[in-house]
Amino acid sequence: MKHLLLRIEPVVWFLFGQGIMIGTMLLTGWVLVLGLAIPLGLVSPDALAYERAYGLGSHPIGRLLLAALIALPLWKGAHHLRHLSIDFGGLSRDVVVAPILYGIATLGSLAAIVAVIRL
Amino acid sequence: MSTARPAHPQVMQPSRPGPTRTAPPMRPARMPLRGPYLTHSLFGATGLIYLLLGLLALEIVWALGSGEEAWNRVRENFQHPLYIGFHTLAFASILFVGVRFFRLFPPAQPPRIGPAKPPPPGVLMAMLYAAWIGVAGVLALILAGRIF
Amino acid sequence: MGDVRNKTFVVTRFDPDRDEAPRTQRYQVPVQPDWKVLDALNYIKDEIDGTLSHRWSCRMAVCGSCGMSVNGEPRLTCKDALDQYGDTVEIGPLANFPVIRDLVIEMEGFLEKLKSVKPWIIRAKEKAVEEGPLNQSPEQLEEFRKFSMCINCMLCYAACPVVANEPDFLGPAAIALGHRYNLDSRDEGAAERNEIFRGEGTVFSCSYANECTEVCPKHVEPAAAVNQAKLNVLIDWAKGLVLPRGGAQ
Repeated sequence: MKHLLLRIEPVVWFLFGQGIMIGTMLLTGWVLVLGLAIPLGLVSPDALAYERAYGLGSHPIGRLLLAALIALPLWKGAHHLRHLSIDFGGLSRDVVVAPILYGIATLGSLAAIVAVIRL
Repeated sequence: MSTARPAHPQVMQPSRPGPTRTAPPMRPARMPLRGPYLTHSLFGATGLIYLLLGLLALEIVWALGSGEEAWNRVRENFQHPLYIGFHTLAFASILFVGVRFFRLFPPAQPPRIGPAKPPPPGVLMAMLYAAWIGVAGVLALILAGRIF
Repeated sequence: MGDVRNKTFVVTRFDPDRDEAPRTQRYQVPVQPDWKVLDALNYIKDEIDGTLSHRWSCRMAVCGSCGMSVNGEPRLTCKDALDQYGDTVEIGPLANFPVIRDLVIEMEGFLEKLKSVKPWIIRAKEKAVEEGPLNQSPEQLEEFRKFSMCINCMLCYAACPVVANEPDFLGPAAIALGHRYNLDSRDEGAAERNEIFRGEGTVFSCSYANECTEVCPKHVEPAAAVNQAKLNVLIDWAKGLVLPRGGAQ
């Protein structure tokens, strides 16, 4: 397992980096509107009525952005949590923690692809 | 130093022991939650926020693909105080991550990749912030129904 | 003469023949206003307690010998002015290192990590003497110059949270040194070193805490080196997927 983790590290680091870069950029607007402005009534919920939301999401660019917005933060999250675990003295449990976290990110990324395809 | 705790016992040990008994290595005194290590630990802890945001986005997009009823049902959750509280924390975390990462990004660029040199650090930072504001602004306007 | 002030120094002591574990000992020192921390330590050894052991040499921050923990932070004691500290100063051995005695740490593990990155010019084929020197322009030198300024003081290892938890991690100075050679226009060994960078001591263990850069007394910016190295390793790995391997093997 340790050897496998070493072999995939460049890819994981790349996805983590994109998660921070692109994930942060995409999530800012997403959280601002979906997470705060609409719930707090600053923006009308009609802006994301089903027809409009579906039209945006099912557009090819929409599908791509949504897939990135789901998948990339998962890799940033998984990688950072793994390192946080090690920071708190968890090297010996890394052989369990890392596969679980990267497993969640992998499954989540696959689910993201399915989610945008079925739109 | 009175508060220092042991590092992993194998840390910085030579491959062959020296002639005398050594005292085990101790962690930096302020690890893991004081001074610069607190900032570093918080940076790592935002990983949980990002993970949850990704999974939440998955639920939202899945609902969008499941028809109008499912979509409207998931939107009702937006009003929940826990949802708003989480996203307030999430927004602060995203800003924290962006600012810290953009500060660390320019030194991490090699002097050259092939023949291409990166822009000077000041220019690079300006480009990053411009991209951040641009992408966030455009996406926010789209989601808020102001454009497209 | 200036204002002499008494300061209390709480110094870590450890004698492997006598002590179960490190302990502290307090010393009152009449500190001159222009003294560095090292001056106080040398005063203790010369005038109060000759049994205190500590490393030092150049007194001018170029040899890297006198690194210690001062109030919990890794500092070069010959460079650190005492007037920035209060009436009590804690001095201990560098964090993250086994302790041989008092303030003297075991550095052999560090030297092994340095050696492991092959810190020398690697050529596919040595240039014959008759063909002349390996020329290098000032621009080419500038690409790696700051990474060559390391004085091996080990403060970066004492500050790194990853070093504290991962014994195999190569560490800031070793990676910066390897990266220095990878960036050197005369060197052709990047592929070899990148294999080491991806090995047990993997550069990807670094979580960019940036503390190594913060504590470095020579502005080497090891965190920059480590994170540049990650990108170079990634590019090498990606190229390896697409192109057949060649070059200095």
